[in-house]
Amino acid sequence: MKYKILIFCILYFFPLLLFSQEKKEYSDFEKIIKQKSEPYTSELNFKKAQSFFLRREWDSTLLYTSKQLSLTSKNIQLDNFTHFLRGYSFYKKRVFNESKNEFLNISEDFDYYLHTKIFLGAIAIEQEDYTKALDYLLPIEEITNEELLGINRNSIEGNIGTSYMLLDRYHDAHNYIQKNLAYLEEKRDTIALVIAYGNLAINYDYLDSTGLAIKNYSKAYEFSRYIDDYDVKIGTTHNMYEIAKYLNQPEKAYQYIEEHNQWKDSLHDQNEVARVLQLEKRIAVEQKQQEVSLLEAENKVKEAQKDGLMYSSIILLLLLGTGVYFYREKVKTNKIISEQKENLDELNATKDKLFSIVSHDLRSSVNALKMSNSDLVDNLEAKNLEKVNTLLHSNSAIVNGAYNLLDNLLNWALLQTKQSFFEIAELRLFFIVEHVAHNYKALLSEKNIQFENTIPKKDKVFADQESLKIILRNIIDNAIKFSKPEDSIKIYTQHTHEGFCDLVIEDTGIGMSEATRQNLLQETIVTSEKENKDIIGSGLGMQLCKSMIKKNNGNFFIESTLGKGTKMIVSLSKIPPNG
Amino acid sequence: MDNINVLIIEDTPAQSDRLVKTLEENNFTVVGVATTLKEALSLFYSSKKIDIVIIDIFLNGVPDGIAFAETINAVPNASKPFVFLTSSTDRQIFQRAKLTQPFSYLMKPFNELELLYAIEMAVEKFYAQQDVFLGDEEDTVISDEYLFIKKGKSLKKVRITDIIYIEVEEKYCNIITEKEKFVILISLTKILKLLDNNIFCRTHRNYIANLEKIEEIILADNLIILSGNHKVTLSDTYKDIVKRMRTLR
Repeated sequence: MKYKILIFCILYFFPLLLFSQEKKEYSDFEKIIKQKSEPYTSELNFKKAQSFFLRREWDSTLLYTSKQLSLTSKNIQLDNFTHFLRGYSFYKKRVFNESKNEFLNISEDFDYYLHTKIFLGAIAIEQEDYTKALDYLLPIEEITNEELLGINRNSIEGNIGTSYMLLDRYHDAHNYIQKNLAYLEEKRDTIALVIAYGNLAINYDYLDSTGLAIKNYSKAYEFSRYIDDYDVKIGTTHNMYEIAKYLNQPEKAYQYIEEHNQWKDSLHDQNEVARVLQLEKRIAVEQKQQEVSLLEAENKVKEAQKDGLMYSSIILLLLLGTGVYFYREKVKTNKIISEQKENLDELNATKDKLFSIVSHDLRSSVNALKMSNSDLVDNLEAKNLEKVNTLLHSNSAIVNGAYNLLDNLLNWALLQTKQSFFEIAELRLFFIVEHVAHNYKALLSEKNIQFENTIPKKDKVFADQESLKIILRNIIDNAIKFSKPEDSIKIYTQHTHEGFCDLVIEDTGIGMSEATRQNLLQETIVTSEKENKDIIGSGLGMQLCKSMIKKNNGNFFIESTLGKGTKMIVSLSKIPPNG
Repeated sequence: MDNINVLIIEDTPAQSDRLVKTLEENNFTVVGVATTLKEALSLFYSSKKIDIVIIDIFLNGVPDGIAFAETINAVPNASKPFVFLTSSTDRQIFQRAKLTQPFSYLMKPFNELELLYAIEMAVEKFYAQQDVFLGDEEDTVISDEYLFIKKGKSLKKVRITDIIYIEVEEKYCNIITEKEKFVILISLTKILKLLDNNIFCRTHRNYIANLEKIEEIILADNLIILSGNHKVTLSDTYKDIVKRMRTLR
């Protein structure tokens, strides 16, 4: 009991024995597992579990094995194998209770039932239930080497020995420890030897064979000098110090305690160095981290700058685009405006010209009337009634001409300002022509012109009555104006155009040249050249005719031969405008 | 045949004088010339014989002419055909005038033909028998009271109750009244449709008789003797007429 502290020091190493041994031995074992599980790889889940197992991926192994188990196959060996894999995986993950349950699920006829027992034993040791461990391990010891399939018998014996020791059954333990020691000496595993000697020494200690104990402690100490493990060195030096104290050798004790402290310091230094190194590493990592974050930040800034540049360039481009667009629009509008201005100027000039011609005409008419009136007064005083009569007739003709001019002017103005009433209705051409021609009866008979209206009463057109009358008035007026005495004017219809009725006003008058004809059909108000200087006209009447025919959805044609006569053709629709 | 009675509403004497002259030249009777709306209305309602009204739209610068037309149109049975007389081509006033259906107008300055045409159009439109006077097929418009017959350029009327009987000859109808006998152009179906069935009745394929003018029916000879000793044939197909005579008495 004097060495209680000493025991604790050594005991720390026991579980290590089992573990370090296992790692080497069981790689062979895994190979065998692979080989032996081959027959069952037809099961997909098991195959996967097995491959993960061999790759030591325990979690995946557990997943696929649980899938395999949920299939409830009838193959007991396959189930056993699955449980075995699960147990092993749990063991590796150090979930000992689950592992134990899995191993306990395995039936006794399983090929590797012995291994199951070994694992159960190892679990029991891990769980410090040494009695149970012995229950599992002792039967295995009986079995011959071949059946253990690569598992080292000595590690089992070592375990048994340790278990006995921990159960204070030192006599039982002694045998196993010595067996293990012999094996270890053979294998020259120094650390294991130190620990084994230590164990043996403790065992002797408890068996009260102090001499043997001291001898083994010393052996452990001797071996520990060849290894670098500070923990072991600290343990052995401490043991020697305790022994020196027990043997009343103060110098030796002092020497051991010195050594003990030295190892302790070394361990401490090593730890310190490790800590400093770790610290440095951390600082370095932090620095690197800082640099990285700095670079990241820089990068971010650069990215932002790049983005900003891109956006601003896009905006600038858009601005430029819209600017160009509006500029072009402006240019376009300007062009249109200047075109309109030209048009307007032209129209205004035409209007001015028209104005001058009309006023000139009117002035000469009124002047003629003035002169004629003074003549009238003179003749009345002289009672020359015959002369008065002729003068009155000529006056009436002058007034008629002026009236027609003014009427056209008014209609033109009304047409331009769209003030007049306009209604397209079905009209009988015959009557309209009759009504208009009625006003020219006197003039016709005066000039001795033969007039004929041969339009059938059934001919109907769709037109506005008043504007049609204005058109006819102008055309008939012109026909009379450009006819010589004894000429004839015929008005008739023809149906040469589909959907239209052509109203023809044919005279045998002086006719006109092709140039004049073209001129009349043009869109200008004032005809510059006059065919006959005696017969004046503004051209307003003709223009009015064209505009009104257009408004009535009609067409206008002129056929003429100079010296032979003219055909004015007004083509009017026979179909209502909306249908 | 009687003259058509015309009422003129016109504030310009020169215009009304010309109108009166032209109308009288064409055998119309001018019943009166009104110069204001009030005068026009009193003349229109006091004289029962008016057949047509010629209305100047502007009376003293206001469109009272339209007001007159709107007033007489308010009592449909008392209304008569009318013609608007205007020198204005103003769009708005025309739009308002157009609302007084049936709408006929005469644009100043007008000649004789245009005036007569406008009157004919007004009569046609008013009695809703359009295209009668303008074509070659017909020349008579029938109202409840009169036959309006185109006679040359002019228009005449015959009181329907004066007709004793009508003799149909293809497209023509011989109208026999107590005083005279004349031919009009109208289809048989149209005349039958437009005459009052209670007064006029077919007695034969070619005869339509005024029941009120019947003096005697001689069934044995298939003859009807009408007033003025006119005789029409009564064919078997139309003998039902006898029953109607009884019920009439």
